Amino acid sequence: MKISDESKVLDIVGEFANIGAGNAATALASLLDIEVVNEVTSCNLLPLSKVANWLGGPDQVVAGVYTRLCGDLRGGVLVVLSRDSATNLIRHLTKEAPDLARLTEIQGSALREIGNICLCWYLVAVSKMIDSDLIPAPPDATVDLLGAVLDLPLADAGLKVDKVIAVHTVFKSFEKAFDGYFLLLPEEQMLDVILEKMGDGR
Amino acid sequence: MNEPVLVGIAQIVVAKAPERICCMGLGSCVAVFLYDPMGRIGGVVHALLPRAPRDAKVRGKYADTAVKALLDEMISKGARRDQLRAKLVGGAQMFPNLNIKVADIGKENVEEAKKALKGLGIRLAAEDTHGTRGRSATFDLENGRVSISTAFSDSHFI
Repeated sequence: MKISDESKVLDIVGEFANIGAGNAATALASLLDIEVVNEVTSCNLLPLSKVANWLGGPDQVVAGVYTRLCGDLRGGVLVVLSRDSATNLIRHLTKEAPDLARLTEIQGSALREIGNICLCWYLVAVSKMIDSDLIPAPPDATVDLLGAVLDLPLADAGLKVDKVIAVHTVFKSFEKAFDGYFLLLPEEQMLDVILEKMGDGR
Repeated sequence: MNEPVLVGIAQIVVAKAPERICCMGLGSCVAVFLYDPMGRIGGVVHALLPRAPRDAKVRGKYADTAVKALLDEMISKGARRDQLRAKLVGGAQMFPNLNIKVADIGKENVEEAKKALKGLGIRLAAEDTHGTRGRSATFDLENGRVSISTAFSDSHFI
């Protein structure tokens, strides 16, 4: 990765992710028929040991939906929803309140689908910006401790590096308890493409 | 009681009673706990991946090199090698439906940690590994017990 100026890199990647998240928020809003807003996008270069703390601590229970990009450009994308949001969204789709400790087949599938929708809209937006196809593997979902949810994404990213660029965008709704965030962990080649396409004229 | 010392990914912590050491939210990662009951010295390493590449810089990150790194640290802090016993926690498969290369890296992490322990002649006293649930584990250096809790169940000891 050509990091000559770290803060500039983080600015560019942050802006890139922000636009992706904006698109995903629009999709979620129409799915749920509520107003969804993006709060802040923050981007950081972190050692593997610090990522969970940066996201609020490893011991909080969250719903996580993860996929890997498996085309030319590789990286991991994780959607994290708070417990309340996951419960509300699953209830919205299945018309019954889930027990997050024991999701039924259909509830687990609803959670994956919610994650899938978020992920795909996010990826559609960001792939337009860098004019490259981003191909996600079918995602999987779990409800567990954040630290545990992060292990696989970090193992994926950590195969090659000891520090990861993590991009975090919060989304929220005013009307219902609904909040969560995207975490993008781009690999080196994807990062280079983002910097090349987004960094022009700066 | 003091707050336990936290061990993040790729980190190694060695301490003495009455301290406690905690690994929060272990998913596919494996945590290796070593304890010297005579000196009441204990150490934990939190490994992310099974095998270190040749140019690895962080020994604690990979299960195969982490066990030796932890052992070295324990001995430098006064633990007696012939007293040591090990416990393993973690190695879950958090996303079992994901069809990617590293989807069951937890299993490999546990295997490599066991192989490394065996290679160093350290007895494995207990383990709570595999499955599909994350775990938090707190190591009590007064007695070497490890308390394990998950997102939705009460804690138990190994």
